Amino acid sequence: MNNFLVFLEQREGVVKKASIDIWNRVQELAALSEDSAVFGILAGSADIGSLAGFLVGDGVIYHAPEERVSFCNPEYYASLVADIFEKESCSTLFFADTSLSRDLAPRLSLRLQASLLSGSLHLSATGGEDGACTRPVYSASAIASFVAQRPLRIYTLPARKADSVISLGGHITFIALELRHLESEELSAVVRRMVMCDERLDVAEAGIVVAGGRGVGGAEGFALIEKLALLLGGAVGASRPVVDEGWRPHAEQIGQTGKTVAPLLYIACGISGAVQHLAGIGSARTVVAINSDRYAPIFDVADFGIVGDLHDILPKLIVEAEEFLKRK
Amino acid sequence: MHIAVCLCQVPDTSSVIGFVDGTIDRLRVTEVMNPYDEYALEEAVRCKERHEGSQVTVFSVAPPSAKELLRKALAMGADRAVLVEAEVWDPYQIALALSRAISSFYVDALPDLVFCGKQSTDFQNGQVPPMLAELLGIASVSAITALTFSGECLKLEREIEGGIEYLEVTCPAVLSTEKGLNVPRKTSVKAVMEARKKPIDLLPLIIDEPPYVLMSGIKAAERKKICRFVQDEKELIRILGNERALF
Repeated sequence: MNNFLVFLEQREGVVKKASIDIWNRVQELAALSEDSAVFGILAGSADIGSLAGFLVGDGVIYHAPEERVSFCNPEYYASLVADIFEKESCSTLFFADTSLSRDLAPRLSLRLQASLLSGSLHLSATGGEDGACTRPVYSASAIASFVAQRPLRIYTLPARKADSVISLGGHITFIALELRHLESEELSAVVRRMVMCDERLDVAEAGIVVAGGRGVGGAEGFALIEKLALLLGGAVGASRPVVDEGWRPHAEQIGQTGKTVAPLLYIACGISGAVQHLAGIGSARTVVAINSDRYAPIFDVADFGIVGDLHDILPKLIVEAEEFLKRK
Repeated sequence: MHIAVCLCQVPDTSSVIGFVDGTIDRLRVTEVMNPYDEYALEEAVRCKERHEGSQVTVFSVAPPSAKELLRKALAMGADRAVLVEAEVWDPYQIALALSRAISSFYVDALPDLVFCGKQSTDFQNGQVPPMLAELLGIASVSAITALTFSGECLKLEREIEGGIEYLEVTCPAVLSTEKGLNVPRKTSVKAVMEARKKPIDLLPLIIDEPPYVLMSGIKAAERKKICRFVQDEKELIRILGNERALF
């Protein structure tokens, strides 16, 4: 048996896109072997009707719709996941790499005595016998491969931006997930509430990121960055000095002590390109740099560059982009 | 309060990182305290300052060279340091060694709080804190950006994708720290001198459990691209929008 279990993460009743993407990628993986079945687990109230058409392939999803398990408690969730994993004789467990899975997956690694491979770049490798995982290390200055030493494995996979076209038909069955005895006082860490920051796209999940560095000059200067990001349907990012100066919130910081992003397009404005910043953009597909210093290191990792003052260039770029989008 | 802090050292990213024989060239890197661990240590010292009679003990599973790291931690305000001399990389083995060191130090009791950095900047697994919590059988919250005491309870905040999560936790708990939680203090010459008098306990521990994960290879990443300089904005938008169809 080589069954797969996918953890489907919901937030405020909506199953995360990253989880759906992983379910579909695991389906491709399962299709390669004859004796693999795909199982899912979804805790908390969620509109499962809206999942139709997004989840492909055959599979069984265990769903606990109860409101009281909508917020994640890692200790309790770990028990729920471990039960299904063992009940369905699964060999591999998959998570989207999110703040929730970073709490949950390490606990499950110990409970299931399974090797945990975090942030694996390629899922195809997981089909191999050794379960190798490759990913950037040392601030993305190196690529390392890791091999599982246990027969059971857990993978957390970063979101990818490319939409794959999969046309696997199939039928998904939802089964009620029986909840273990749950006393709220048993739970030592309890989520009280979540506040989502309006409709703004998170920089780690955006397909296009427009980021500003010290060269932007101040908090006001980010109005241009925001305008371009909004126009292109992207998110705003910032370099470390910008966050340290208090011009932008830490949630937008990209780099070593911030987020790692993997957008299709990354536009770096007034960012010199310190190693710590480059650590966060190693997986960005197309990189554009706008900087007044022709010899700034950012140009060494950029596909396209404009040398000049961003305060002159950005307004013109916005006008050109507006016209381009109008014509489209 | 009894407060434990877990520390590790990482290569300074601003030093040149080279690789020989499938491993990092240790001769050419400077080791520093993991940046996220500085927030952990600072928060522990702040908790101590708020609660009279508290003691902060730092734990590290590292090669003997980590004594310098522990001296820095003592200078920043930790009271004692425990070093488990071991060259292990696997997060499971590190968590195991830390849990044993903590159990042995507190003689089968538990510290009220255990602070860890949310991840090390070298391998960025972030697995050790929740694993340690699982081994100690206590709660854990990762990547906190705010902490306030509220009676028996701790109120915490952390960033999640696209928002903020507000949590409550009761002691004992493992808390891993994110940038933004505090601004770590600079050490004074006096504090550095005083730290020389504080004890560093060496704890002999044998980790004979096999690792869960092995690193099978490492190579320098090829990041250099050839930058095509464009003359004006119109040209850039044409390339991005038409040639590459990015928007």
